[in-house]
Amino acid sequence: MSETWMIAGGWMAAGLTIFLFSFLYRDNPFFKAAEHLYLGAGMGWWFQVYLFNIWKPKVWEPLLSGDFFVLIPAVLGLSLVTQFIPRISWISRYGFTFMMGYGAGLAIPATLSTDFMSQIAGAIQPFTALATMTPMMIFNSLVVAGGTICVLFYFFFSVEHKGAVKKISNIGIYFLMIYFGAAFGNTVMARFSLLYGRFDDLYTFSGANYFYASQILLIALVAYFILHSFLGGKKTEEEEPAH
Amino acid sequence: MKETLQKFFKMDRRWIFLVLAVVLFVPIMRPLGLPNKTISRDARNAFDYVDALKPGAFLLLSLDYDPSTRPELHPQAVAVIRHAFKKNLRIGVVTYIAGSTGLIEQIFETVPKDYGKVYGTDYVIFPYMANAAAVMTQMSSDFYGIYDKERNGKPVRDMPVMQGIKNYRDMALVVNITGTSILDWWVAFVGDKYNVPVVGGCTAISQPGYGPYLQTKQLKGLIGGMKGAAEYESLVKEPGKGTSGIDALNLAHLLVLALILTSNIILLIIKHL
Repeated sequence: MSETWMIAGGWMAAGLTIFLFSFLYRDNPFFKAAEHLYLGAGMGWWFQVYLFNIWKPKVWEPLLSGDFFVLIPAVLGLSLVTQFIPRISWISRYGFTFMMGYGAGLAIPATLSTDFMSQIAGAIQPFTALATMTPMMIFNSLVVAGGTICVLFYFFFSVEHKGAVKKISNIGIYFLMIYFGAAFGNTVMARFSLLYGRFDDLYTFSGANYFYASQILLIALVAYFILHSFLGGKKTEEEEPAH
Repeated sequence: MKETLQKFFKMDRRWIFLVLAVVLFVPIMRPLGLPNKTISRDARNAFDYVDALKPGAFLLLSLDYDPSTRPELHPQAVAVIRHAFKKNLRIGVVTYIAGSTGLIEQIFETVPKDYGKVYGTDYVIFPYMANAAAVMTQMSSDFYGIYDKERNGKPVRDMPVMQGIKNYRDMALVVNITGTSILDWWVAFVGDKYNVPVVGGCTAISQPGYGPYLQTKQLKGLIGGMKGAAEYESLVKEPGKGTSGIDALNLAHLLVLALILTSNIILLIIKHL
């Protein structure tokens, strides 16, 4: 890629990032433009992916080389489009039937083995080797097995939750809360990582080799907001502040 | 006094956004070098598993993330690839996320040169494929039934990097770095079914959900989020974007803790006034 295109790309990336972040201050035309551009570019991107990465190598090229069997999945796939024409939408059932059968056949055995049997075995197995385990390992195994049973009790609704059952299911709630807490903490960390990533890019584009793209665009946007407020731009219903 | 304290809860949220932006931006401009002293068991297991492979072993690397999760997953991928090249492993790169292709090119434009690795001999990049589950299943019987050409259309069967590789049995390890549920599929459709060791890399959000697979050793190791990337970088001794991000993450977490503590203390004071 030539240097000019790299610089142009840097300006585009810095501009779109700043425009999208500007919504945190207040809705504005730059945010709207970036939002619409994102949607349009996304649609265009997926269209070319389907065309050049799926349709061309998986349907068009095999057909040209005389492999007409690809017509079967291609027609089944096209049948889904008939959903948009109510009069012949029943044809789409053939495509959906194939997808359902194929999906269920692929997923059910694998899920039963991976997420069901292996997990039950994983919760029980440590107790077969207690003699070789350290006290901490035994404690961990007890927590895992106990937690699994308590949470399962919480989701067992065929028995009224009172007495001992209520106590066990309440312990299950604590296990669930610990999981949700860990998941939320990790979510916060993940969001900060993404924000850090954007800021890192903005810092890259603020260099002299990108002609100070980040600073110039940021100053321009701040100038817009100042001018807009001085010129008495009225807040419309859509232009509410972000708080 | 009570009214003054209550103003804290009516504070314009944009001030918090601004403080957060400053807290995240400052370490980028002036790295503080805060230490990353803890290496999680799962990241170490992932490292140990790759480290134990013999030179020349084939590692199938499935990079399934797009720019939306790049800050977390790109450093993980770079660290794993550097480790594999250091160990002289052969790498085959596959992807089931179309948005990954550009990011994969970005890595392989620079990293192989650092280790003198040659395309076709030491590593190969396969084209994007749709329908990951079908591809994974079909690869078990005949790898070349799916991937007969690399991403530029050249036949791969005779490439030195693919010597002796027919299906999963010939592969030493599958490493999947993803921001999607594709890692679950690698475990279910490949790891469990064909007894292929699988190591994962995922976003911090997905990390707690993989605990059960790690406990049962269905996953041999897991690199989680930017923190995991930093851990793997320190194990490989190749500091990168993960390590430099730790400063910012530490400061941002401190800010969140400070805000939570402050608001709770203020709330307690208000209640007792």
